[in-house]
Amino acid sequence: MRIKDKIVKWSRIKSPWMLHFNTGACNACDIEIVAALTPRYDMERFGVMLKGTPRHADILLCSGPVTGQIKDRLKRIYDQMPQPKFVIAVGSCACSGGVFNGCYNVESGIDSVIPVSAYIPGCPAAPTAIIDGVVKLLASLEQREE
Amino acid sequence: MFTPFLHILVFPGFLFLVFAGLIAEYIDRKLYARLQNRVGPPFFQPLADFIKLTSKEDIVPEEANPRMFKAMPIFALTATVTAIFYIPLWSPKALYSFNGDLIVVMYLLTIPTLTYFLGGWYSTSLYSKIGAVRSLTQLFAYEVPLLMCILAPALLANTWSLSEMASFYENHSGYWLFNIIGFAVAIVALLGKLEKVPFDIPEAETEIVAGTFTEYSGRLFGIFRLSLDIEAIVGSSLIASVYLPFGFHLKPLAGFLLYMGKVLSIIAIMSLSRSIFARLRIDQMINFCWKYLSPLAFLQILICLIAKWGLYR
Repeated sequence: MRIKDKIVKWSRIKSPWMLHFNTGACNACDIEIVAALTPRYDMERFGVMLKGTPRHADILLCSGPVTGQIKDRLKRIYDQMPQPKFVIAVGSCACSGGVFNGCYNVESGIDSVIPVSAYIPGCPAAPTAIIDGVVKLLASLEQREE
Repeated sequence: MFTPFLHILVFPGFLFLVFAGLIAEYIDRKLYARLQNRVGPPFFQPLADFIKLTSKEDIVPEEANPRMFKAMPIFALTATVTAIFYIPLWSPKALYSFNGDLIVVMYLLTIPTLTYFLGGWYSTSLYSKIGAVRSLTQLFAYEVPLLMCILAPALLANTWSLSEMASFYENHSGYWLFNIIGFAVAIVALLGKLEKVPFDIPEAETEIVAGTFTEYSGRLFGIFRLSLDIEAIVGSSLIASVYLPFGFHLKPLAGFLLYMGKVLSIIAIMSLSRSIFARLRIDQMINFCWKYLSPLAFLQILICLIAKWGLYR
């Protein structure tokens, strides 16, 4: 059982598939996320693939403060992902609500709705910062005892 | 008693095909990445993807028909693995052969498409239904030219058995040059069969999420992916044995290397096309297949008939 668990953990770290979800961002973080996936930065080096459906994804990349409208959709998308799943909040708004914190139509940050595994600050978060955050999340998986 | 199990499970059956399929996926993705001037995935990437998918949670949608939903990936895998037994790989004799196994192989390679349709249809998501209908529509476009252009070499060899075709072309060296047009048509049709760019219309991720596989997750999706990889290997082996029938008399190891070279070059052609073409619309694809591909396949049959008449006179 020990060896099997190790192999499974290795495969999880080596093959994180992502789903990109805009939870009300101004589009700047989304452009940076897309830039991180394009050939210039090439996330496929780490086995990252951008997937269109939550059923295939391991990591949910959220950008933006959670607006009142998107809240239920975010929960539903999160529930549709198969276990084990991780959430990364990209950008200051996704981390804490940013400048929109306290707005009448905005919840504050992704972690007010669903649990978040990694925060990537920045306005917008640079592609290099996004890659760094993803790699740190994967490194933290490696250390975790299960 | 023991050998058939060895053939089915190890070589050239299940294990070999899994291994070859994963290597083919790696080469496809790495070449694609290098053509886009980036580094690309490491060599163990397809294996890591497969293990990760098998260890994930399997979600069956509430609305879906669970029996069909779970059975379809296994049917796809079984059909593709079975097809390899009738295809001559590096000796002119396949593992099992009888007169007419050409048609059986074509049937077995059609079953995966049918399972994509059924799996998508029974998962009852809107996107997977659109993808399912598209994959079936696509089937009617590429299947006719593919069958026609594979029948042409069979007409020239005067047999419907893949093994006898291979030994015919081995004994009459140079005859395979008659089938060059058919080779091109078969590669284009194989792109449609494997749902690769420019014919990845059924799983167009920018329009319909992931098409047929939208609701599939975990192990079931992993099996579907594996069956697609294996189908790439089996389809390329079929094309290699029909259109590139040389070097069958080589020693086992050299013959095996030559066979892998043929298959991998066909896969390289496919990843090349993936990096230079954009996705077609379904109506453009149907038009292309019926207006250009089918007449070309017909021309190939005519060439073979004329060659046969000229050679056997």
